[in-house]
Amino acid sequence: MFNNLIFIILFMLGFYALIMKTNLIKNVIGLNIMEAAVFFWVISFSDVGGEVSIHKLGEEVTKFNDPVPQALTLTGIVIGASTAALLLTLIIELNKFSGTIDREKIEGLND
Amino acid sequence: MEIPTETQPEVEILNKLMKKALVSFVLAGVAFALYRSFALMPAYQGLNLGLSNYIIESGLKDTGSLNLITAVLYDYRAFDSLGESTVIFGAVSGIVLILSRKMLPVSSKGLSFIVKRTLGIMTPFIALFGLYIMSHGHLTPGGGFQGGVILAAISIIFSIVYGSAFDYRRYSPQTKTALETGGALTFLGLGLAGILMEGAFLQNLGFLTAETGTLISAGSIPYINIGVGFKVGAGLAIIFYSMIQKTFEEDF
Repeated sequence: MFNNLIFIILFMLGFYALIMKTNLIKNVIGLNIMEAAVFFWVISFSDVGGEVSIHKLGEEVTKFNDPVPQALTLTGIVIGASTAALLLTLIIELNKFSGTIDREKIEGLND
Repeated sequence: MEIPTETQPEVEILNKLMKKALVSFVLAGVAFALYRSFALMPAYQGLNLGLSNYIIESGLKDTGSLNLITAVLYDYRAFDSLGESTVIFGAVSGIVLILSRKMLPVSSKGLSFIVKRTLGIMTPFIALFGLYIMSHGHLTPGGGFQGGVILAAISIIFSIVYGSAFDYRRYSPQTKTALETGGALTFLGLGLAGILMEGAFLQNLGFLTAETGTLISAGSIPYINIGVGFKVGAGLAIIFYSMIQKTFEEDF
């Protein structure tokens, strides 16, 4: 399936940024790309070719897409935004104390 | 014995290249394994066939909400949404705690006069759009979280266009904190009202239900949406202003 392939590419791209980049902000971006990949996958596999799961007044729709994965994804997006904000805050504080956001140049962590 | 210093950078570059190649190889292997295991998966038939079918068939009858996703979020899984908004509350508290500085924000003067007047004309409409998205969460796409983000965007645009001190003076952090706490308390209060009136925490309040499709219908869902919207909007604005506080003193 095509959506599986895109999910794997996006997820691995995010994972690569998370483990190979030394800039901490790029690590957070990689984490967010991984999150976006998972959300994309959950939404795309629950699409069974029906309507958006909202009733319309005076219209009978026979086939809806599953509303449960969409609600779960909404929860996930909010949690992801919160964690990203908290991580960026910690990076700001780290920059204030050590003067760098490169994780290989922070004193006291390497060797 | 001394190592010649000229070769040092080359060795490092080679080292890095080796590391990159190794990691890429391992990741490609993991990706291949994932792809093979995806191919073994059966086709999607519904996350839980009984549950999805139940929500699609009787969600409108149970909750009175046309938007089934909102029905799931604020009726069937309302307790989970309460936890979700608690996560935002925790993140905001942590950020404010880490970045707390007692500093009056002084900043640049913002953008030009034309941009300021244009934003002045546009602001009520942006706010109206945010409130519309918030209060029509049970009828159209949208809801508390989405509308709240639009309200927070107004605050962020203010700080860019009018300078970062403007929004701070108009709506002090105390106001934003009060709005956020008020939204959370609205949610909790409706949950407690569910106990008193209907017998279960966050049960949809039946006596508020009206004709389906009108603005005030679907029990307590619109009120929860409005509370969550103010909570999210104020919370995101607090996060933004905590983060840019350091640039205040530098700009001046």
